[in-house]
Amino acid sequence: MTPRATPRRALACAATVITAGLLLAACGGDKDDSKGSAPAAADNAAAKSSTVKIVVSDEDCAPTPASVPAGTVRFEVGNKGSAKVTEAELLDGGKILGEKENLTPGLSGDFTLTLDAGKYQVYCPGAKTEKSDLTVTGTARKTWKDDPALVGATQQYATWVTGEVKELVTGTDAFTAAVKAGRTDDAKKLYGKARVHYERIESTAEIWGDIDGRIDGRIDDAATAADFTGFHRIEQELWEKNSTAGLGTLADRLSADVHELHTKVQHVEYQPAAIANGATELVNEIQTSKITGEEERYSHIDLLDFDGSLAGAQEAVSVLLPVLKQKDPALADTVTSRYQATATALKAYAATPGYQDSGYVDYSKVTDAQRRVLAQAVDAYAESVSKIAGKIA
Amino acid sequence: MKTPPQGPVPDDTPDITPEPAQRASLPAASAVSRRRLLGAVGAGAAVAGAALGAGGTALAGRDSGPGAAAPAGSAAPATVDFRGTHQAGIATPSQDRLCFATFDVAPGATRADLAALLTTWTAAAEAMTLGRPVPGDEGDLNTPPDDTGEAVGLTPGRLTITLGYGPALFDDRFGLTARRPSALRPLPKLPGENLDPALTGGDLCVQACADDPQVAFHAVRNLRRLGFGTVLPRWMELGFGRTSSTSHQQATPRNLMGFKDGTRNIDARDEDVMGRHVWIGQEEPQRWIRGGAYLVSRKIRMRMEQWDRDRLGDQQDVFGRYKGSGAPLTGHGEFDTPDFAAKSGGRYVIPDDAHIRLASPEHNNGLRILRRGYSYTDGIDQQTGDLLGGLFFVAFMNSPDRFVTLQRVLGAHDALNEYIQHIGSGVFAVPPGLAAGHDWGEQLFG
Repeated sequence: MTPRATPRRALACAATVITAGLLLAACGGDKDDSKGSAPAAADNAAAKSSTVKIVVSDEDCAPTPASVPAGTVRFEVGNKGSAKVTEAELLDGGKILGEKENLTPGLSGDFTLTLDAGKYQVYCPGAKTEKSDLTVTGTARKTWKDDPALVGATQQYATWVTGEVKELVTGTDAFTAAVKAGRTDDAKKLYGKARVHYERIESTAEIWGDIDGRIDGRIDDAATAADFTGFHRIEQELWEKNSTAGLGTLADRLSADVHELHTKVQHVEYQPAAIANGATELVNEIQTSKITGEEERYSHIDLLDFDGSLAGAQEAVSVLLPVLKQKDPALADTVTSRYQATATALKAYAATPGYQDSGYVDYSKVTDAQRRVLAQAVDAYAESVSKIAGKIA
Repeated sequence: MKTPPQGPVPDDTPDITPEPAQRASLPAASAVSRRRLLGAVGAGAAVAGAALGAGGTALAGRDSGPGAAAPAGSAAPATVDFRGTHQAGIATPSQDRLCFATFDVAPGATRADLAALLTTWTAAAEAMTLGRPVPGDEGDLNTPPDDTGEAVGLTPGRLTITLGYGPALFDDRFGLTARRPSALRPLPKLPGENLDPALTGGDLCVQACADDPQVAFHAVRNLRRLGFGTVLPRWMELGFGRTSSTSHQQATPRNLMGFKDGTRNIDARDEDVMGRHVWIGQEEPQRWIRGGAYLVSRKIRMRMEQWDRDRLGDQQDVFGRYKGSGAPLTGHGEFDTPDFAAKSGGRYVIPDDAHIRLASPEHNNGLRILRRGYSYTDGIDQQTGDLLGGLFFVAFMNSPDRFVTLQRVLGAHDALNEYIQHIGSGVFAVPPGLAAGHDWGEQLFG
């Protein structure tokens, strides 16, 4: 990845890390944020429908009634005679969920929202009392944890990630052993074999911030020369100098870092939306750092990285696909066919054993026109994957 | 190089005519509320359909039709009708900015995919021309917003979105061979051109014009985004300043050579002239394209550094006009009819290779086209450090053969050729306007 890009944020915020009783809560309050959003309506077939009347005046905009059951709520807003107060908004904390504005005296209008249980405020700027409470009663909204299919999907994904990180450890240890033994040609072939496992789970490794930078950072990201460590630091020496001289310490540190990652990923719980968004990040990364040749600028095994990122995205999508097929079959079809189109485009460059045993040709030999064809398939796939989270969450 | 002008010298004071329809500030009421429309739903709420557009969010006064000009001295209308007899963006008084893109249909995309996209594009284009965001379920925090958002808070800026189809679309990929507009074929090789394939052609084109460049760019960007998986962008141009006026109520703008080069353009309010020269009429056997037009685009690079070193007398001879006033070399005012027969000292006052002579209807059997071009820049030439830029020529006509006829003359003889080169090209059939309830998909596929 490109560490200074921010993809790690999304997944890091959404994953919950459970370690020895310590709960690192997710940032951003994903549950609260989706209160009142469209998907809630679909989840709650028994939702009630009610109407709230609001008359804005110089005094206030108190709702009648002040309490309604969760479900579809139609807000009828009128202004009988206030020149000063001409709008009403429904707020959830500081957030506007709906509003009616420019209601000059005599005008009325309405808006409709799907609301979950909770406290809301009717807000009419300019009135003596600007905010009045509206209470929405009922049981708390169901979450993905109430859906066994989604719980199963997250467990399946967690198991897969753990397995990939285990292979990353095995592959990296073989690679670093070759580096330390001075077997340069072997090291070059083992480099890609280790890295592909990192590319597959990179969106989850980014949760750990520093460790990702140490393992996968680029020379451009390093504040000082000493901060440039990990795979790409060793890659630079292997391909630019064709030598392993002086790489022992870097090899040891890389090995230690992937072992540490392995320990950490044992205790992560992934949320469905985060898995989906992680897939988008992986596909975006193909576009920004693989197609461009940026990531493997010394070794040119970018097509193997491409393969890894694509496989990682495909795994994430696959675990969610049964649920997606129920919620939005058309999107499920689109995602599947665009994945296949991308895989087919990549396969045109497969080779056995391939450049540096990577299974693919040397990426520096792929022309700009050919890269553009790859990029077009990747772009289309990424666009469809980016829509999954909103459907399954 | 040429001799200095021989003819009478008119008042050569610079023209500083204000553009009546363009510069008036918009009334507060027309600052429609892109922000509000989006804002109401952008915060995470599901708002039922009826909530939008009702009550206080009424849109500002409409243009009374794509051909209507803004009344002089009053505010320009904020929106131009998307639907009508003809597509907007042709007879519409030229907006200040352009974003033009062409697309190829992606390999593997089907007729059904293309039809569905054109239906989606219709809805998105209509919404954007009204100053509304691309329709969708904005506000869901787990979903990327359906609209990219950069036009929120901007007025619609008389946005028009004009769609055209290139010759290649009517090959056998989509079952459209029997619907090919009869004059639609690739342009022949024309004299003096040096076309870059990367700047030429395309299965579809989208012309977005608006008075705000960000509104025009936003339109193309969002259509492109909706097209992922179905169409691939081929090339794109941003025109930063209009070089044509399509209504005599608009002042004639200047091109990057500093000249008024559109004084004798068709006045698009003249329905008779438009009917004879621009709109595809009853002579066309493909009924579905009648009421449309052909669009020819040419990316014309100007060698600005060399031009700027040419002496004024020669610059004026190249165009056949005075640089300051825009008057023909035989006249005093910009709109004086050029006298191509006038001689002085045995030579034509408007030289025989002057641009306005060779391009004139008088020298082309009355042939006219509606020009609607924009100045562009691509920054700096990395080899020479010279400015890269010029004219992104767009013209509408009832047959692309009209352009071919003109360009065969101009490309071979125009004195301007010393300073310009055609480097990109496109020809597209622009279908007629859509009636209420119809969309581009069903119009194309029938």
